[in-house]
Amino acid sequence: MERVLLRNTESPHSADIHEYIKGGGYISLHKAFEMKPFDVIDEVRRSGLRGRGGAGFPTGMKWSFAVADPQTPKYLICNADEGEPGTFKDRGILEKNPHLLIEGMVISAYAIEAAWGYIYLRGEYPRAKDVLLSAIKQAYEKNYLGDNILGKGVGFHLHVHCGAGAYICGEETALIESLEGKRGQPRIKPPFPVNEGFSLKPTIINNVETLANIPCIIEIGGDAYSKIGSPECPGPKLYSVSGHVKRPGVYELPMGVTLREIIYTHCGGILGDKKLKAVIPGGISTPVLTPDKIDCPMDFRNLPRVGSLLGSGAVIAFDETVDMVNVCLRITKFFEHESCGKCTPCREGVGWMRAIIERICGGAGRNGDLDHLMEVSSNILGKTFCPLGDSAATVVQSYLGNFRHEFEEKIKNR
Amino acid sequence: MITITINEKKITLEKPVTILEAARSAGIHIPTLCHEDILEPYGGCRLCLVEVEKVPRLLSACTQYITEGMVVRTETERVIEARRAILEFLLINHPLDCSFCDKAGECDLQDLAMKYGPATGRFAEGKRKHPESYDDPLIVRNMERCVLCSKCVRMCEDVQGASALCITNRGSKSYVEPFSGGRYNCEYCGNCLTVCPVGAIMSGLHRHDYRSWLIEREVETVCSYCGVGCSLLLQIRGNSLIRTVPKIGRGLNRGLLCSKGRFGYDYISNSERLDTPLIRRNGELQPAAWSEAITHIARRLKEIKENHGSDAIAGIVSGRCTNEDAYVFQKFFRGAIGTNNIDSVASLAYGPAQRFFERIFGQGVTANDIHGISNSDGIFVIGGDPTGINPVLGLQVRSACKKGAPVVVMGYAEGLKRFSKHAFITNSTTETVLLASLVSEIKKKKSLPGERPVFEEIISGLQPVPLKDASEMSGFGLNDLVDTVDTLSNMINPSIIVGRDIVQTSTGHMSLLFLAALAYLLNGRIYLLSELPNEQGLLDMGCQPDMLPSGRPLTIETFRTRCEETLGIAIPSTPGLNYVEMIEAAHAGRIKALYVMGEDTVQGLPDRNYVSDALRNVEFLVVQDMFLTETAQYADVVLPSLSWAEKEGSYTNLERRVQLTKKAVEGEGIEEWKIISEMSKILGLDMGYRSVTDIFTEIVRISHIYREITYNDITSGRCMWPYKGGPLRHDVHIEGIELPDIVSVMKNADESGVQVRREAHLFHSQNASRYSPALQSISPEPYVKMSETLAGRLSLRDGEHVKVVTEAGSITLSVHRDPCLPENVVLIPPFEKGGIFEITKWKVNPVTKAPALDGNRVIIET
Ligand SMILES: Cc1cc2nc3c(=O)[nH]c(=O)nc-3n(C[C@H](O)[C@H](O)[C@H](O)COP(=O)(O)O)c2cc1C
Ligand code: SF4
Ligand code: SF4
Ligand code: SF4
Ligand code: FES
Repeated sequence: MERVLLRNTESPHSADIHEYIKGGGYISLHKAFEMKPFDVIDEVRRSGLRGRGGAGFPTGMKWSFAVADPQTPKYLICNADEGEPGTFKDRGILEKNPHLLIEGMVISAYAIEAAWGYIYLRGEYPRAKDVLLSAIKQAYEKNYLGDNILGKGVGFHLHVHCGAGAYICGEETALIESLEGKRGQPRIKPPFPVNEGFSLKPTIINNVETLANIPCIIEIGGDAYSKIGSPECPGPKLYSVSGHVKRPGVYELPMGVTLREIIYTHCGGILGDKKLKAVIPGGISTPVLTPDKIDCPMDFRNLPRVGSLLGSGAVIAFDETVDMVNVCLRITKFFEHESCGKCTPCREGVGWMRAIIERICGGAGRNGDLDHLMEVSSNILGKTFCPLGDSAATVVQSYLGNFRHEFEEKIKNR
Repeated sequence: MITITINEKKITLEKPVTILEAARSAGIHIPTLCHEDILEPYGGCRLCLVEVEKVPRLLSACTQYITEGMVVRTETERVIEARRAILEFLLINHPLDCSFCDKAGECDLQDLAMKYGPATGRFAEGKRKHPESYDDPLIVRNMERCVLCSKCVRMCEDVQGASALCITNRGSKSYVEPFSGGRYNCEYCGNCLTVCPVGAIMSGLHRHDYRSWLIEREVETVCSYCGVGCSLLLQIRGNSLIRTVPKIGRGLNRGLLCSKGRFGYDYISNSERLDTPLIRRNGELQPAAWSEAITHIARRLKEIKENHGSDAIAGIVSGRCTNEDAYVFQKFFRGAIGTNNIDSVASLAYGPAQRFFERIFGQGVTANDIHGISNSDGIFVIGGDPTGINPVLGLQVRSACKKGAPVVVMGYAEGLKRFSKHAFITNSTTETVLLASLVSEIKKKKSLPGERPVFEEIISGLQPVPLKDASEMSGFGLNDLVDTVDTLSNMINPSIIVGRDIVQTSTGHMSLLFLAALAYLLNGRIYLLSELPNEQGLLDMGCQPDMLPSGRPLTIETFRTRCEETLGIAIPSTPGLNYVEMIEAAHAGRIKALYVMGEDTVQGLPDRNYVSDALRNVEFLVVQDMFLTETAQYADVVLPSLSWAEKEGSYTNLERRVQLTKKAVEGEGIEEWKIISEMSKILGLDMGYRSVTDIFTEIVRISHIYREITYNDITSGRCMWPYKGGPLRHDVHIEGIELPDIVSVMKNADESGVQVRREAHLFHSQNASRYSPALQSISPEPYVKMSETLAGRLSLRDGEHVKVVTEAGSITLSVHRDPCLPENVVLIPPFEKGGIFEITKWKVNPVTKAPALDGNRVIIET
C-alpha cells in the first residue's frame, strides 16, 4: 500500500512546508475550499473514517452533530496528548508530517465552521512542539492559516497548548478542562463536547491521526477511501509496535492486518527468535492476548471478539521470558498514578489492586489474594466516572484470566 | 410532562430533572455523598448509582437526567452491591478514628457505612497518611478523612467565589488544600465546612470540646452582625452556646454565612464581658447592684431635667439593639424625659441615604429582595464593598457576574476585584464628579420615562460634566469612562448597591442626588448596605430626632397627636438633635446627660480626640454595653447588656424583612427594655410591658407600616415589605432639593496629596468583632493599604511599619501594597487601635448631617 499518513517521511526535511507541497501537500485544502462545508462532511461520512483516538467513533457523524448545534463560535481541537504507554504513532505525524495535520485541521475547521483551533500536545513532546510551531508559522506565511485563507474569506487560527503530563487529559472532556486552565478531570457527559465543549461552545475533538486522514479522504474521495482496509473500519492505520520484536517502530498498514502479520512480517519476529508469550494489541489500557489470538485482524470490530480492543493500535509484544505478574503490576501502577481522583472506585480501587499485586510480586502473597483481587476489580468495573478506571479493572482481569498460573506460582513460592 | 417509573412507582414530572430529584420528589431515598443542591452535579462519589432498564451500566442518579418512559430501580441487588463496594472503597484509606472525630454523630460517611456498608473491611495494605493541619487559627484540616467529594472546592469556587481551595495531587494522593498553603488566607466564610460531609474540614473553635449528640437544644435565629440577617442555628448544651452553624437551604442566606456569622459568635462568651453595673465613685467605676444603678440613673436624669431642661438630655441607640429595645428607648426619651434628642448610628449614613431616596421615590424604595441582585443584568456598586460589609449580599453580586452581568464599581471593593468590569477607586470629590459626569452622559443616551416629572426637571437642570473633564480631573482613562457609560446604559434591570462611604463626605448630598438620577435613568433597584443588624429597625422605630415610629415626620401635627393619643404621652413638637449634633452640643457643653445604648461612640465617629472631649464634657454619661468599651470608660454609670443570644426581639434587615432573634442561653443581666421601663416608671411613665410581645403589639398598633404583623408572621422568614400591604406614602416632596453646583466643586477641588479613605473590613465590624477572639485571630494587625507606586516611591515592602500622619493625629501601621489603588488614595479600616478614626478630623456634611471623612491628607513617614 502506498503510504498516506507517513508519505515522504524518510526525507530529512519532510516537516518543511516546501517539501510537503512538493509532494502534493495542501492540494486537498484547495479542493475542499471548492466544496461546500456540508459536502466535505459528507465525504468524510462516506469514507467510513472512525476516530483513531481509541474509541473509534465515526468522525463524519461527530462533525455533523457539532454542525447541527446552532451555537457559535465552534472550536476544533486536535488531541495530541498521546499519553498511553506503548503509543507513539501520533508522534510520527507530529514530528515528521506536521503539515498533513495542519492541512487536515484547516479542512476540518472549514467543514465545521470553526475559526479557532487548538492542538493539545503531550507535554513530553518538546521536539514535536518545536516542529509544530515552525510548521504553523510557515502555514501562516503561506496563508494556509490566518484570517483569509487562500483569499477565500475563510479564517482559521491554530494554537499549540502543551499538557503537563497527565494521562487523563487525553480524555476529551478532561482535555477541555485543562485547556480552560482548570484541573484535568473529566466532565459529566452529556452534554458532549459537540454541544458544550471548550468555553461551553460546540467543539470537535479529534485525534491527530484522525485529522491526518482528512486530506487523503478529500484527495481520493470518501468512496475510494472506504475501500482501504477493513470494510467496517476502513483506512490506513498507524501501528506503534514495541516490546520484544526485532524492528520496533511506527508502521502504516491498512486497517485489519493481523497481529501476526505486524509482528512477524513487518517487525521481523520476536527478538532472539524466542517464543511469543503475550501481546497487548492497542496500548496498555487494552486487555492482553495470548499467542493463539494473533491471527485476529487489527480493527475496531474484530479485536473485541477475542476479548480485547484496538485502542490506539499500540502493539506491545512480550517474549517467553517475561514475568506477566510484573507486567500487570507495572500497568496497574500506571493507572494508579494517572487516576485523576474524581471518582471513588478508580481512586481507591486501583491503588488497592496495585497493593495486592505488589505484595504478590514481593513474595508476600496470600491464599485468597487472587479471588480478592478479582473481586476488587469487579467492584471497580462499571462504576467509574470515566473509562480510565474501567480499563484498569478489565486489564487486571485479563492478566488474571490469561496468566492466573503465574500469579498462583508466585503466591505458592513466596 | 415526563413520566418515568422508579421502583415500580409511576412518577410524572413537569420538566427534565435528574433521577435523584425525581426520586426525591416521590419520597424515594437515594444515598449521596458528593451531591449538594446548591452546587452543580459532580458525579464523583458514585454512591448514587441506580439501575436503569435497557442501560447496561449503572448510572449515577445525581447526574443523569430522566427521559420519557425511563424505568429506574434504586434498590436492586446489583445496586446494593455497588453501594457496598463504593463504601468499602471509601473506607479503605479512611482512618476510622470516629472515636475522637468532631464529626462523629453527624457524619454522612458514618451514617452511610452504618446503613449500607460492609460489616468488616478487607483492606490490609496500609493506609495513606496525611497529618492533621493546625496551621490555620480557625479551620482544621484532616485529609485522612477526606472523601474527595470536592464539595468544599466547588462551594468555594462556584458559590463563594473566593477560589481559595484546590485539590492537590492526583488519584489516591489527592487532598484538599488552600492555595495559600497551610493557612487559609481566604474569606473565612466557613461555607466549605458547612458542606464537608465528613470530619475533613472542621471549625477549630470547638475542636474536641463537644460531641454532636450531646447538643441538647438548637435555636434558629438570625445573625447579629450585619444588615443582611442570615439565619443560623445556635447549638446549646446546658447554658453554653457550643457553636453556630447554618442550615443548608434555610433562611434568606439559604445556608451560606460569612466569617462573622460563622466564627464571630464567641464574643458572647468572652471573659471580658461585664456582668454587673458599674457606678463611678471617686473617679472610679465600681460595681453596684442593679437596683442601685437604675435608681441612680433615674435620679440623675431627673435632676438634670429639672436644672437644665429636657433638651439637655440625649440618647443614642446602636444598630445591634432590637426593634423592641429601640422602640422603648425612644418612647422613654419622648414620653418620660420629654425630648426628641434621640438618634442612632443609622443617621451616620444609612438613614440619610434612605431618607434621600425615599424623598424622591417614595417610602420603601430600598426595600428590595436580596436575591433580586443575582437576577439583574448589571450591577453598579458605590461607596462600599458588598462582599466585605454584607458578605452574603455580596455573593449575589458575584453570582450575577458569573451569569454574565457586568459589574461596575466606584470606590474600593476588595472582594469584587476579580468580578468587576470597571472599577474606579476614587477620592471623595472625584466620586461626586464622576457620578455627575456619568449622569450627564447617560442622560444623552436614555430618554426620561416621564414617570416623575418633578424629579425629571431636576435631572434636566443638572449641570453637564463632559466625560473628558471628569477623566482629566480624576485621572481615569477616557475610554474606560466611555465604555462604562455604554455598559451602564445597556442595563435593563440593574441593581444599584450603595455603601456608606458615598454619604460620609462633604459632597455626599450631591452624590446622593446624582445617584438617584442614575438609578432613575437606568431603572435600577437600590440596595443600601448596612453594617449593623438593625439599622433599618432603628429608623422604623422612630429613633430619629425628627421622625416618629414608621418614618412619620414629627413636625406634622396629625401624626404627632395621633401618636400622643395612642400612647397617652406628650411628645415635644420640635425636632431634637441628631447623633453628630449631639456630640457637637456635648462638646459645647449644651448636653448635660447622654445615654448611649450599645454604641461605642468614640470608635464610630471621625476624630477620636474631639469625641472623647465631648464625652468628658458631659455631666452624666450612661453607657449600656456588653463590654467596657472606650466610650464606657468615660461613663458615670455602665450597665451590662445582654448579647443577642440571650434575649428576644426582632430585627429589620436592609431589605426591610422583619426577623426574630431568639433567646438561646441565659445571660447575666437584664433586658434593655426592662431597664428602661424601670427607669421610666421612676420618672413617672409606667409603660407596663410584661414581655417583648407586649412591646411588639404596641409597635404594631402605632406604626402604620408594621400594622397587623405578628411574631408568627415573622417566624416564617417571609415578613417582607410592604408587609400586610400597608399603604405606602406617596406624598413625595422634592421641593427644596438644591441643584448642586458641580462646576464650582470641580473648580475648587484640591486634588493634591494623598487622601485617606475607610476600608470596611470583612473581619472587623464596628464593635462585636473586636471581642471575638476568632475574628481577631484572622488579621489582627492594623494596616494601611497603598498603591504600588506610592509604596515604591517610599521603598516600602509589604508588612513594613510606617507612621501615617494627618492634621488630626498619627498612627503606626503595617503596609499592605495593593496594585489596584491609585496613588492618591490610601485605605485604613476602623481598627480599634490604629484605625482611621484616629486620624480624621471632625467634619460634618452640612445637608445630610452625616460625618464627613474626606479631606484628610496623609503624610507617610518611614
Ligand atoms: C483515559 C483516556 C485517555 C485518552 N487519551 C487519549 C489520547 O491520548 N489521545 C487521543 O487522541 N485520545 C485519547 N482518548 C480518547 C479521547 O477521549 C477521544 O475519544 C478522542 O480524542 C476522540 O478523537 P477521535 O474521535 O479522533 O478518536 C482518551 C480517552 C480516555 C478515556
Ligand atoms: S475513572 Fe474516575 S478517578 Fe479514574 S480517571 Fe476517570 S473520573 Fe478520574
Ligand atoms: S472558608 Fe470560605 S473562602 Fe475560605 S476556603 Fe472555605 S469556602 Fe473558601
Ligand atoms: S474536605 Fe470534605 S468537602 Fe472537601 S473534598 Fe474532602 S470530604 Fe469533600
Ligand atoms: S451523589 Fe451521585 S455520584 Fe456522588
